[in-house]
Amino acid sequence: MENNAVIKIENLHKSFGENHVIKGITTEINKGEVVVILGPSGCGKSTFLRCMNMLEIPTDGKVFLNSTELTDPDCNIDKAREKMSMVFQHFNLFPHLTVLKNLTIGPEKLKKMPKEEAENKAKEMLKRMGLGDKYNHYPEELSGGQKQRVAIARALMMDPEIILFDEPTSALDPEMVGEVLELMKKLAKTGMTMACVTHEMGFAREVASRVIFLDNGVIAEDGTPDEIFSNPKNPRLRDFLSKIL
Amino acid sequence: MKKKNKKLIEYVFLLVIVLLIASFFVANREKPVAASFLEGPEDISRARIGVQLGTTSDLIASEEEKNGATVVRFSKTADAIQAMMKDQLDCVLVDSMTAGAFADANPGVSIMESNYPVEEMAIAISKNNPILKDKINRALALMREDGTYQSIRDNYFGEDKGLNPYVKQDVDRSNGTLIAVTNATFEPYEYIENGKIVGFDIDIAQAICDHMGYELEMNDIEFDAIITAVQSGKADIGIAGMTVTEDRLKNIDFTDVYAREGGLSILVRNGNNEGDMSFKDKLVQNFLEENRWSFLLNGLVTTIIIAIIASFIGIVLGSLIAFGRTTADMTGEYKIMNAILKCYLTIIRGTPAVIQLLIIYYVIFASSNVNKVLVAGIAFGLNSAAYVAEIMRSGIMSIDKGQFEAGRSLGFSYGKTLWYFILPQAIRNVLPALGNEFIVLIKETSISGYIGIMDLTRAGDFIRSRTYEAFIPLVAVAAIYLVIVIFLSKGVSMMEKKLKTSSH
Repeated sequence: MENNAVIKIENLHKSFGENHVIKGITTEINKGEVVVILGPSGCGKSTFLRCMNMLEIPTDGKVFLNSTELTDPDCNIDKAREKMSMVFQHFNLFPHLTVLKNLTIGPEKLKKMPKEEAENKAKEMLKRMGLGDKYNHYPEELSGGQKQRVAIARALMMDPEIILFDEPTSALDPEMVGEVLELMKKLAKTGMTMACVTHEMGFAREVASRVIFLDNGVIAEDGTPDEIFSNPKNPRLRDFLSKIL
Repeated sequence: MKKKNKKLIEYVFLLVIVLLIASFFVANREKPVAASFLEGPEDISRARIGVQLGTTSDLIASEEEKNGATVVRFSKTADAIQAMMKDQLDCVLVDSMTAGAFADANPGVSIMESNYPVEEMAIAISKNNPILKDKINRALALMREDGTYQSIRDNYFGEDKGLNPYVKQDVDRSNGTLIAVTNATFEPYEYIENGKIVGFDIDIAQAICDHMGYELEMNDIEFDAIITAVQSGKADIGIAGMTVTEDRLKNIDFTDVYAREGGLSILVRNGNNEGDMSFKDKLVQNFLEENRWSFLLNGLVTTIIIAIIASFIGIVLGSLIAFGRTTADMTGEYKIMNAILKCYLTIIRGTPAVIQLLIIYYVIFASSNVNKVLVAGIAFGLNSAAYVAEIMRSGIMSIDKGQFEAGRSLGFSYGKTLWYFILPQAIRNVLPALGNEFIVLIKETSISGYIGIMDLTRAGDFIRSRTYEAFIPLVAVAAIYLVIVIFLSKGVSMMEKKLKTSSH
């Protein structure tokens, strides 16, 4: 098991000034796992996820990607991030670039992939996602669901070892949530390692291989979806589930 | 697009025609002005006197000021005469040899009899250069012996005026180059004719160089800048009909006296308005005579060159400063660099551009002989960079933080994220403000004349000093600036549209 860990986190702490958000988290995410992170708002879910790719610099503790320590000051974080893409709540597509360019700019500029190869790969990927006719459009011409699917495609273009999803459906109109979840489900089936902060309990139940419940900056419960949803032990988790389901 | 350009050109032409018609009415509305009240030289102590700043006339008038006269100082005698013709002054004090030329050119101006003392003129030279002073004194003595001096004098002041001009001698000039400064507004000592600096002093300087085996480089700058130029080493000598005074001797040295002239004259308004020209004649005089339009054209080219150099420096340096500042703000590091940059912005934005230009020319580039247009380009570039930096910074700050995170999370470094994602969006947001900055910049270059560059504004000034006509050259210069700015704004808005459509 030890060798299978894509991400390893040791005693992670994060404070914003006086505000102590993450208060010591130790866990691992193994290859092929789909880990859903749940928790009441303000419990530090997003901060925890963003510490994994160092968008937030941990105050204390260690984060490893495979055997590379990301919290080491000498670590080339840019190189490491190529292997761990992120999908954001607000998509964060580049509005001045076409859909195609949004997808190809990463492989082209960072992996020195030839333009034609990158474009073919991007078009192939868009076609698979049902966006084959959109590659020449600009992001503002797409619907929210389409934007998020493009963002997932952009993440996949880097051939990452893990994708971090930060509330990928929270900013979407209800009728568009389905298409994004559907795509994420497909992705999970291909064996992609995923860590996902979400409020979609259905997705967690059906797709997740593991659910982590965060409360007050620590892991309050960690188990399979079955254990978490059918047999919650932690009183805070029970309270949380009763409000949300 | 073509149709729109056509419309723009029509619009500009219409504007120029409106300006011409307006100037026609204004020019014809000039009311005749009565003669000055002065009856004799003693009345000067009650008069409003115009002088050229820093000249001997200025010194004498300052004495009269203590007796109750009002003194107005101009950078050109011609401006003072124009003010007098509009009844803003009663008389103008000039040195006697140039008085004749002014009176000849202006039928409304007469010379009043007076008896100011004789002036002794000498060449200004740095105190640190006794060897050159010695050489020039020897050359002057030699010129008096071999008759060169008398022949030049006769050509300007003798019976056969203008018949025997001094010809540059064909000699070996391997001893070096003598850099001279003058202020070409004192006919017949130094003035501009057909685009060249000519006059008695200029021929004297040329003859000195011919005798010393030197190349002569003559520059035209403001009169009150001559002493600074010589003192700072920008020029080897200043030759501009300068008299030796105690004050001037504090800062610079003088060679032997090369000319003695009959002191000062008082120019007064004689009430004669018959010589007024028609509007059409004025146009011919201001633009066609002596090919004066070519000054405007050359000035325009110079202005554009300065503006291009300055915009380039402004954009590059301004962007770098903006990067530095935002990086420091975002990361909380590089505090020393941030403090230095902030200091730079405060100084540049807190002091007038003219002062910056003068400091850069006379202090920073004091001892090197860099092309003036380049110096002006650098000065305006450094100035513009401060404004561009703040514009760019506001543009970068206006971009959603998520864009930055998206770039970084893909594996782009800080710099690459700025370059590929933040900057293109930021520029699109600040393009109108940047365009505005360049419009300000091109107008700002109109102060280049302070370091003696013949830019568009100074070209208009120059025509003014030759034709004693204020209105037409000024309106022409204004119209040219206006046309440049209209096309520039049009260009900016076209670029805005292009950038906008590229995101659709």
